[in-house]
Formats: sequence, C-alpha cells, structure tokens
Amino acid sequence: MCSTCGCTGHGQGTQIQFFVTGYDEKNSKEVEEKLLGLPGVLYVHIHTHDGETTINYNPAKTRLSELTAVFEQRGLQAAI
Amino acid sequence: MEVQVMEDILGSNDKQAAENKKIFDKYGILALNLIGSPGAGKTSLLEKTIGSLKGCMRLAVIEGDLFTSKDADRIADKDIPVIQINTSGGCHLDAMMVQKVLNKLDLANLDLIIIENVGNLVCPAEFNIGEDAKAVVLSITEGDDKPLKYPLIFKEAAVAVLNKIDILPFTNFDMANAKHDMNCLNPGISIIEASCRTGDGLETWCNWLKNTVQIKKERMKKTNG
Repeated sequence: MCSTCGCTGHGQGTQIQFFVTGYDEKNSKEVEEKLLGLPGVLYVHIHTHDGETTINYNPAKTRLSELTAVFEQRGLQAAI
Repeated sequence: MEVQVMEDILGSNDKQAAENKKIFDKYGILALNLIGSPGAGKTSLLEKTIGSLKGCMRLAVIEGDLFTSKDADRIADKDIPVIQINTSGGCHLDAMMVQKVLNKLDLANLDLIIIENVGNLVCPAEFNIGEDAKAVVLSITEGDDKPLKYPLIFKEAAVAVLNKIDILPFTNFDMANAKHDMNCLNPGISIIEASCRTGDGLETWCNWLKNTVQIKKERMKKTNG
C-alpha cells in the first residue's frame, strides 16, 4: 500500500476486471455496494454503460466465486 | 524474490502479534489500536477518554510517534501509565515494537491498553500488533471521501469516531455519505459522531469502550477458567 516507505501488507491484494452484461443504474449501484461489503474487497469501480467492473480484493479473504455470486444473484453475466 | 522477503516480514509480524495477543488474553486486557491521520484528534480523544474512564477502569496508553514525546507528555499529565514508542521515521507501529514495551506495564493491574498508532491512515491498518480491535478516528476536516480512498482501515476497524462535529456546519462534509460508505465497506462498524472540544458523543464512545472491555473480560474468564 505505501510505496514511499516500502512497507506493504495484506491489503495489497489482487486487481481483477470483469465485463458484465445487464447493468442498469440501479443494479450497478447495488453490485458496487454488495461487493464493497465483502471481506477483503477494497475498491470497486463500475462503468455501467459498457459493464467494465474493476475490483481490488484480497483472495485470502474472499474467493473469486464469492465475487461472481454477486453478479449471478442479480441475473448478470460476468466474463473475465 | 523481493515478494518473499515482504511475506517473511509480514509473517514475522503476524507471529509476534499472536504472541502479544496471548499476553493480552492472559491478563484479560482489551488492547485497542487507535488509528487516524495526523491531526484527526486521536490524542485529544485519549485525553477525554482517560478523564471519563479513569475512575471506573484501569487503563494505560502506548503512544506511537515518529519523533518526540509530545503526545506521551499530554497523557502523562492525566496520571495514568504511558509509554512512548518513537519509530524514528517509521510510518506505523509493528508487533515487535509493542512487545518490547509491554514488560514496562503492570499488566496484572490493567483492564484496557489503548495503543495510539503513528498518524497515518494507510500503513498502520496493515500491521496487526496483537490488538483486540482497531478504532479509527476521522475528523470532519479531512472530508467525507476518506473511507473509500483509504478503505482498509475502515474495513478493519470495529468502530469509527467522526471527530470535530462541532465544526460540521462550516464545512461541506457530507455526514450521510461518509456513513453510507463506511457501512458499505464494513457493515458491522460502529460509527460515533463526536467532538472532543464540546464533549458531544464522548459518552457514547466511552460506553462502547466499557462494553467492549466487559465482553473481553467475560470471554477470557470463560476461556482461562
């Protein structure tokens, strides 16, 4: 996390990008909030218009399947 | 290769943090890691907290700062045990630093140790020091965008104190937005609006501390027999 001092830690995590079909203004906000509430998810950015969804998360705390479940539960299709 | 070294450092820290935790558990002490930006009001909150809780529980403070003993001097005026750790430029406390000073405290006669970390919203959130809980202090002057910009600490903290609410009318801080973002990141977080200057919210904060100390004591009584 801290590049100036060189220390780093568990929060560093992994960035993953999905392309999601089926977003609208309402469900994209819901997805963003639901993803942010998962353990280890630190950042979510969604482009509603083209479905680009960027997530920074810690795989030790949340599995990939838990991320994709958030899309599936709303009938959204996500591809990496 | 470089990553392996980093992992080793963190692994060592986590091992030492687990040892610290065992010590806190053995004595039934609640250890609170107090984190926030420089100027958020961590030391002011501590001063007010000590004033309120000194009569009803036994507490000590470990102060983390890059340099000087200015904060420890303020706490020492409250007549409770206080230890200063100077990190000499280091941006956070780690478990080893805390371990080295624990033997200077009369642990058998404490209920609560508050460890004020170095003023920084980033690095202290990454390093477990053996605490039972993290508390984050965010002041109104820092802006309501900070939870999403510095998510880890808000994700990790059990409680967030929104300090300096007395100046809220003079800022564009959006309280609802700040709370919404914190709740999104950490649905279980307790959020307390407070002002160390006026005293607003401090009773709620102290009650949260008393309750958390009590829960720890009861849990450790059951565990330790």
